[in-house]
Amino acid sequence: MSYVGTIGEKEVKIGVQEAGVGRYRVTIDGQEHMVDACQVMSTVWSVLYGTTSFEVDVQGKDEEFEVLISGDCYKFTLMNEQRKALMRAGGKGSVGKAMLTSPMPGKVVKLLVAEGEEVKADQGVIVVEAMKMENELKTAVTGKVKEIFVKEGEIVESGAKLLLVE
Amino acid sequence: MFKKILIANRGEIAIRVVRACREMGIRSVAVFSEADRRALHVRYSDEAHFIGPSPASESYLVIDKIIDVARKSDAEAIHPGYGFLAENPRFADRCEKEKIKLIGPSAYAMRTMGSKTLARKTVQAAGVPVVPGTVEPIASEEEVLRVAREIGFPVMLKATAGGGGKGLRLVREEEELRSSLRMAKSEAKSAFSDDSVYVEKYIENPRHVEIQILGDGHGNYVHLFERECSIQRRHQKVIEESPSVIVTPAMRAAMGKVAIEAARAVKYEGAGTCEFLVDRNRNFFFLEMNTRLQVEHPVTERVTGVDIVKEQILVAAGEKLSIRQDNVSQAGHAIECRIYAEDPDRNFFPCPGLITSLRTPGGPGVRDDSGVYEGFEIPIYYDPIISKLVAWGKDRTEAIARMKRALTEYVVTGVKTTIPFHIRVMNNRHFIEGNFDTDFIDKVFFKEEQERELKHGDVAVITAAIQLFLGERKRAMAQKSVEGEGQVSMWKYSTRPGIRKLG
Repeated sequence: MSYVGTIGEKEVKIGVQEAGVGRYRVTIDGQEHMVDACQVMSTVWSVLYGTTSFEVDVQGKDEEFEVLISGDCYKFTLMNEQRKALMRAGGKGSVGKAMLTSPMPGKVVKLLVAEGEEVKADQGVIVVEAMKMENELKTAVTGKVKEIFVKEGEIVESGAKLLLVE
Repeated sequence: MFKKILIANRGEIAIRVVRACREMGIRSVAVFSEADRRALHVRYSDEAHFIGPSPASESYLVIDKIIDVARKSDAEAIHPGYGFLAENPRFADRCEKEKIKLIGPSAYAMRTMGSKTLARKTVQAAGVPVVPGTVEPIASEEEVLRVAREIGFPVMLKATAGGGGKGLRLVREEEELRSSLRMAKSEAKSAFSDDSVYVEKYIENPRHVEIQILGDGHGNYVHLFERECSIQRRHQKVIEESPSVIVTPAMRAAMGKVAIEAARAVKYEGAGTCEFLVDRNRNFFFLEMNTRLQVEHPVTERVTGVDIVKEQILVAAGEKLSIRQDNVSQAGHAIECRIYAEDPDRNFFPCPGLITSLRTPGGPGVRDDSGVYEGFEIPIYYDPIISKLVAWGKDRTEAIARMKRALTEYVVTGVKTTIPFHIRVMNNRHFIEGNFDTDFIDKVFFKEEQERELKHGDVAVITAAIQLFLGERKRAMAQKSVEGEGQVSMWKYSTRPGIRKLG
């Protein structure tokens, strides 16, 4: 299988092949790596790179990865080559998504904008409280507040839709 | 001795107290809110009573409810832990009225030390060095100016009723004084409905060093040496250690002595902590006294061998302290890392949620005071502390190495934690050299971190790619089985090691 990774500004091509039970041949831009990997606890992998042992915690949703190794966090995106090609063909549609979702479970303390209001990228639009801390969430895009899905005082789950900017 | 103690708290500190009770043969009574039915402190204690809705203001902070449970359960004493009702003199008054022993100092000691100006006045009279400045709230602008000139700029204007950084103004030069005073007063007015302020010399790049003390009702006091608490983020301690690298034996003895004088000045009973600011020339100044058990008490327990919670219970029952000053000493070095459910890579954003797996560290010199378990959902209503990890070594070098080792063994999945942050601090050159002040994390550490090169990017990408690969293959196989020979037993894939729990 082939994948395309984006690390910072750089794009890399990654190939994965199974090479025995729990063993994989992984190429990164043509350079070959042999690893032994097994998933030991929900998101945690035990990886033998050659004979060097790593505990690797792979987190993240969809194509956005956050990987922890020895306290260091590696952030990058990784997706199937075909998907990547499809996305490119699809153009801008998926870029600049305007749906703001709650990054954690909590309580909506305050709405800072109303439906129909013009907002700028990076503007604080809603305050969500979790664990005694108030967190101001910002919109990623400039546009008009199309719809607000929550009310002040409402308890929201992680990932809950908060508001839509177009 | 008490037969039964109610613990008016939750999480790791409630468990800490239950542990002491159990070792002393005392029955423990827990209280819990709606969100905490499944919490570990409920499972650990001998009895547990429901006290209401999840918000602390409707459960853990309601004095009537706590007293009601104490009466119903025949608890003779209440341990308040830290936070919640721990430093509330009204709660202390009420316990006294109900003839239930509050494990802690008197309401008088709490009130005196709880008021910044009163505390200053009291300890100063007892010979404790305080930061130069006024003791009384200042009436006029002219008076502020006179005092500021006398003690020298920079100065700090502070709200008498202050807390949480509100009503606080740093004034570097005389010209800024009038406008800063006006702002400090108006901030104090709106935050505490009390606009009185006082002025103090501003100590630049201070270190935060505190002394643990214990007192009993028979006039005996001991100090259990110092804790270094300068590693803070947003003015909250995150790593503590004992001993402090900057404290000399003479300084230690002097700080211990004045801490005891401060305690004696309010007839302090139980465990308390005097916080000091230490300037670059190792002058120390009283900051405040915390009239409760501190979060970081295990650091002191580890180097002195004294069980502070047991001593608290002992003196609350009217007995004498089990130790004297001449038979306590510091052995080796201990460090504590506070592990929170927060994302260190997103500005310590809180991350409540379900702990999907948990592996706690072990081995020599490691203590883990945890309040959670695998399968527990960290509620959104309270402090997001998961555990306090303490490592001990024969010296600071070994303690740091052990802490780093224990942190890498610690696995918590499902929620983000500050474990990675602590590993990075343990690797930081300035931390290892002991060269830091209270601004270290916010001003030095994060900057250095941004410039540091990460070493294992390849392994990270490889593992993520393998996870994607196996996920896709599993989905493809599931598809095939549906199209092919019909139903495949659901056990077929789940028993193969290596491809479990994917997708």
